[in-house]
Amino acid sequence: MTTMTAAQSPASGAQHPGQGWRVARRVGFWFIIVLILFYTLFPFYWAFNTSLKNENEVFATAYLFSQNPSLRNYELVFQNERFVRGLFNSTLVAGGSTILALGVGSFAAYALGRLKFRGRLLMLYAVLAMTMFPQISILSGLFSIVRDLGLFGSLSSLVVTYPLITLPFTVWTLTTFFKGLPSELEQAALVDGATGFQTFYLILLPLTAPALVTTGLLSFISAWNEYLFALTFTTINPSAQTVPVAIALFSGQVQRQDPIAEVMAASVIVTIPLILLVLYFQRRIVEGLTAGAVKG
Amino acid sequence: MDYSSTARARTSISTQVYLIAGLMLLLGVGALWLFVTGITDALMHRAAGADFGAVLLRYLHVNGIILPLIELGLGLYLIRLAARFLRRDLRAAMWVRQLLLWGVVASTVFVVQALGSALATQMAATEAYMIPVIGVILALTLTYAYLWIGSNIEKFEGQETLAESSARFAWNLLVPTLLVLVFVALRPLEKTFIASLTDQRFAAGADAEVNFVGFDNYAKLLGVRWDLVQCTTDDTGACAVDESGATVFPRARDVLDETYRDLRYREISTWLTLGGTKLIFSARDTNFIGSIGNTLMFTVVSVTIELILGIFIAMVINSKFPGRGLMRAAMLVPWAIPTVVSAKLWTVILRDNSSGILNAGINLIQRTLGLPEESIAWLARPETQIIAMIAIDVWKTTPFMALILLAGLQTIPADIYEAADVDGANRITQFLRLTIPLLRPTIAVALVFRTLDAVRVFDVFQVVLAQKQYSMATYNYYTLTNSQQLGYASAVGVVIFVIILLFTVAYVRILGVSAE
Repeated sequence: MTTMTAAQSPASGAQHPGQGWRVARRVGFWFIIVLILFYTLFPFYWAFNTSLKNENEVFATAYLFSQNPSLRNYELVFQNERFVRGLFNSTLVAGGSTILALGVGSFAAYALGRLKFRGRLLMLYAVLAMTMFPQISILSGLFSIVRDLGLFGSLSSLVVTYPLITLPFTVWTLTTFFKGLPSELEQAALVDGATGFQTFYLILLPLTAPALVTTGLLSFISAWNEYLFALTFTTINPSAQTVPVAIALFSGQVQRQDPIAEVMAASVIVTIPLILLVLYFQRRIVEGLTAGAVKG
Repeated sequence: MDYSSTARARTSISTQVYLIAGLMLLLGVGALWLFVTGITDALMHRAAGADFGAVLLRYLHVNGIILPLIELGLGLYLIRLAARFLRRDLRAAMWVRQLLLWGVVASTVFVVQALGSALATQMAATEAYMIPVIGVILALTLTYAYLWIGSNIEKFEGQETLAESSARFAWNLLVPTLLVLVFVALRPLEKTFIASLTDQRFAAGADAEVNFVGFDNYAKLLGVRWDLVQCTTDDTGACAVDESGATVFPRARDVLDETYRDLRYREISTWLTLGGTKLIFSARDTNFIGSIGNTLMFTVVSVTIELILGIFIAMVINSKFPGRGLMRAAMLVPWAIPTVVSAKLWTVILRDNSSGILNAGINLIQRTLGLPEESIAWLARPETQIIAMIAIDVWKTTPFMALILLAGLQTIPADIYEAADVDGANRITQFLRLTIPLLRPTIAVALVFRTLDAVRVFDVFQVVLAQKQYSMATYNYYTLTNSQQLGYASAVGVVIFVIILLFTVAYVRILGVSAE
């Protein structure tokens, strides 16, 4: 019995597979794979290539390979105070809001996934509605609240508002995960005389560690990449800007019109840690992303 | 000296019960007081001669709806709880204890925040540290009360069932989420709705007068009309024709009725020209109407392409081949990077002369074919700008779509296809009759999330096009931050909200997505 699904398998193809036909299919298959990879990865190569160019080369006719590559742009980027500060700010904001989302989210998910109470379904729908909530449409309301609280232009304005983005799917994913754990766990804990919070904190929470890693990662990435709130709430204060804002508003070390090569160097720097995370946690991320989509 | 230790213990217990009940009562009355002062304040303005609409608006503007409801509910609940607590009801005691715990948490947060701002502003020491000190005293008192109930729980009567205690526990765990829901989602939403009915501006300062303008903002935002315009006639009464042979039409604002001019309608496009008559489409806010068109076009085209490409790629990588894991990881990368970065990458690729690699490639092909070399200014022309936006979005999200669909494909058991093979169904039949129907739930969810994402597109448009062309979201952003028109920007937000709501309802009805 083959594990390949017959419809897509390249080799187990036609009714009367001749040798030549089979080779042609193989070649065609790999051609498509290479094409897909080229499409997904070429822009990254191009960014890297551009980041090695000097000012003149950037504006000259493009060639696939850089003529005389240099790392000078990377040097310049790391001297750019706004960008370095952005890296620091982004780490702080994404880390802070992820911890917040995981803490608050695991509480709520335990309640929604394991406990029975009136209003549970209503809360579940409220969380689902929040995952589809359009952040842009409350921008002005949130803007005036942030201003009234005196948080406008500060990092805390982002830590406080990012749960709107990270919390709903954290709760949703963790709820699904909690639901899947066997029900004997609480009964055993109850027999041993554990309180409700001890059961949650000492017995069930450690079991959700894999799900916590996945959702934490997803929430970190979405907070790291967030642009709308970061741009709106920190425009007046460059020292509170995150990486996406710093890259979008990038101005070169030397006053000139468009520091493309430096922006590309900055982009490469931001992309590398994400590539490493994705390579390392690939399976987990795909599981986390598709948990809702496939089972839901 | 002469009363026994048990008697002393009993009096001290009831003292503490009275104190804690008093605290609860105080908090409850405080919440109700806030609720009542909100209303009396509005009534005083009514007495001062303001008309009802203005009073209502003022009330909503200051208090909203959610906060007064919470004040009222919490006030009544706390007073009732205090009464039950006085009657030594065990269930009430447990709830009081939980509330005290949250009180401790809240006052601690308050202390930290006050300390932080005291350090930041460097006020005179005594003033700055008064507030934190009060906070600390409050926190300690509440902690004491919390601990006291915990160690004297046997003094209370009655019993809490298992279901009751688990419900109490559940609501406690939900408190932080509820706070986020109310203060970061619902309250801003409410503020947006209320502000959209006013002419509020930021530059005017906090105390500036805010006027209730009804649906004026919406009328301006969504005001569109279609008009027939007759051609300019020459001496003979026939239509005038210019050098290139095109019929000459007068400017719409010169020939149409006064409201067209007074309400500042401007022509967006000509829909139809028939002989000496043309049908023109005009709007009061051409930028916003244009942004709706751009966004809908962007959404429909990009989501369709992503779905088709996504299914194709998912089917290709659903077979086993060496390096499949690596391939999946590579496909995740575009999804993982910030949209700002992908937008910047593509502006470099799409540069409008041969220094952009795409144009360099096009030029190369043109050279080989012996055609004249001609670069396309992708980001300079209105038509290609939207195409570029779609291309960037398709590049960034197709791999993600493919991975979601792949996960769906993998839940389809292989033996179904084997059975179909035996029955002699060909590949296309198998795809249409098996794959697509079985993949339907996954496609539904992916479509919903992608569409809702696309409708609120912001990053790409803002980074690449800035104010050359708007999406609904970037238009909202620019009206808010550039012109500081809070009222008008809020109306934009509400319109976006309604459009997204319509999409969601349509999807839920058509595809039947359910919560469980």
